Amino acid sequence: MKKILLAIILFFPVFLPDAWAKVYIDLAAPAFRKLPIGVPEFKDLGAPAQGPAEKAEREAIKKNLLDAAITDLRFSGFFSVIDRAAYLEDPNTSGITAAETNFRNWRAIGADGVLKGGFIAEGDRLTVELRFFDTATERQVIGKRLVGSTKNPRRIVHYFSDSLYEELTGTRGVFTTKILFVSGSGGNKEIYVSDYDGKNAMKLTRNRSINLAPQWSPDGRKALYVSYKKGTPAMYLLDLTNGKDEPLSSRPGINIAGRFSPDGGKVALTLTGERSPELMLLDLATKVYSQLTDNHGIDVSPAWSPDGTKLAYVSDSAGNPQIHVLDLLTKKSKRITFSGKYNSSPSWSPDGKLIALSRSDSGKFNIWVVRPDGDGLSQLTFEGNNRNPSWSPDSRNIVYSSTAGGAASLKIIRADGGEVMRLNTGIGGELAPAWSPYLK
Amino acid sequence: MKKDFLKILPAVFLGALLMAGCEKRIVTEDIAGGAQQKNDAAIAGAEVVPEAGVSAEGVTSEDIKGTTDARLGGSYASLTPGGDTLTAKAMEKGHLYTIYFDYDNYTVRDTDMDNLTKNAKWLGINPAIKVRIEGHADERGETDYNLALGDKRARSILKYLQDMGIKVDRMDVVSYGEEKPAIEGHDEATWSQNRRAEFVIIAN
Repeated sequence: MKKILLAIILFFPVFLPDAWAKVYIDLAAPAFRKLPIGVPEFKDLGAPAQGPAEKAEREAIKKNLLDAAITDLRFSGFFSVIDRAAYLEDPNTSGITAAETNFRNWRAIGADGVLKGGFIAEGDRLTVELRFFDTATERQVIGKRLVGSTKNPRRIVHYFSDSLYEELTGTRGVFTTKILFVSGSGGNKEIYVSDYDGKNAMKLTRNRSINLAPQWSPDGRKALYVSYKKGTPAMYLLDLTNGKDEPLSSRPGINIAGRFSPDGGKVALTLTGERSPELMLLDLATKVYSQLTDNHGIDVSPAWSPDGTKLAYVSDSAGNPQIHVLDLLTKKSKRITFSGKYNSSPSWSPDGKLIALSRSDSGKFNIWVVRPDGDGLSQLTFEGNNRNPSWSPDSRNIVYSSTAGGAASLKIIRADGGEVMRLNTGIGGELAPAWSPYLK
Repeated sequence: MKKDFLKILPAVFLGALLMAGCEKRIVTEDIAGGAQQKNDAAIAGAEVVPEAGVSAEGVTSEDIKGTTDARLGGSYASLTPGGDTLTAKAMEKGHLYTIYFDYDNYTVRDTDMDNLTKNAKWLGINPAIKVRIEGHADERGETDYNLALGDKRARSILKYLQDMGIKVDRMDVVSYGEEKPAIEGHDEATWSQNRRAEFVIIAN
């Protein structure tokens, strides 16, 4: 029972002894004290660097590994990372194994855990060893040696963090997931993708028109998006595995707001209809469209329920934009938001329990969540202008775009209203984020 | 008459984007606790982890050939009140007024009906002219909804002009939602200028 002590620290219910064996942290617990932990610098375990270029490369790797580790641990919500200035341990005389660690030095500064890491860089190959220790028991909770590329040290840490998170909670971590977003910082709005924490941002489109509203395919291999590259807003499908880009929907008028069905077989979208913009379903195998709404108002922004039987969407049939839920089996639609002048951008949580939306009462938008039956409306953000919520695949966090003080950026908030993490992609002006499914 | 202003860009694939199951991998193995573990231990039997879907190496690019790029494809003929966006061509022949809308609304206001009627008359006496009606929204609200709103605005103008006798095959519609504000700013004075339907001459 090596895991007992951390479990006690987290006051895990003592009447569930079976759960102790697997889980340290109960995600369903209403609140828990954050565990203070130490994360010392990563040790270079390789042969001494040759020359200034190699030295600089090693330093950059070291910095990236540490930054990714601290970012992941903080993001988990379970840990607070103790400031490095407080550390008592001498990095020159200690190592990254339990035997080379004096746990008294960590307990003395209040650390309940310590993450230690070392790396060996050889050419393009980067080997990273990571160990997480419980300082009370002086035992290792999890240890991994991972081999990846020197081009992307952060990914190796994210991979470890997925394992650590699963070890602690029994639930998969989202540290290796990605975020699609739009930025117009280069003069034209183009589609980008980054790691979940905003790092490793990469431009995906370069057509110098207007590109909008990227969404992931359920297998994480493709991205659909809206582009004006041929003059009018049409929908395209970009294969992220090989860069192949193909038209998905180019009907006259608007082809916007596309979302893959959970089984990947259909795309719900908005097209120009006879009387107004209507929701449509495009069958990807047959390329046949079927019309879902037919009225004089605007119907837009469909969001699938995870079981694929319902669509939450925005309709102004009641005079202003409100969220409705369409049952695809009965074809009946039900309005679920009644307060707020403008409710939009529904996003259904992957666990099916909540719909996130952006709502405005006075011109400023904020992120809210509501249960699919319309009950339990709850406000998550309070400052700035916050739009386009998108759920993490574990339904624990929501990424959204936020303009506080003018410039847009991406932020992540816990779905239960916890802390906010601002993503620094280095691109600027980020909008319309879409969180990927699990990618492995 | 019309020019393609956008140049054809060569497609540049800077590298294949690697996905699960491809060759680029991170290898991982569990390591035991304690000091017994040597740092240079063999990796034999280690779990193999695929590189992420969209990894750092890959970037895509694509060819584009603008056929109807909004600002460049045709000459602008819109005349905002007090503004000066009238093109020389339109100046010779007359005016096409930009029509403005109330917030989150797509019906033509009484105050704009006069200008819309003038547009219809001008189009009536210039039967060779074909126009594109561009629908716009202000920056407030969501991108999707604003695109739909722009579409709805432009089409409501098209419907009015059609009812006033202008043939529908002389009119094209495109919505830009909130993507192309007429003026930059974050107040009602700005927004009121951005909620609009503009006319662009695409053939004459």
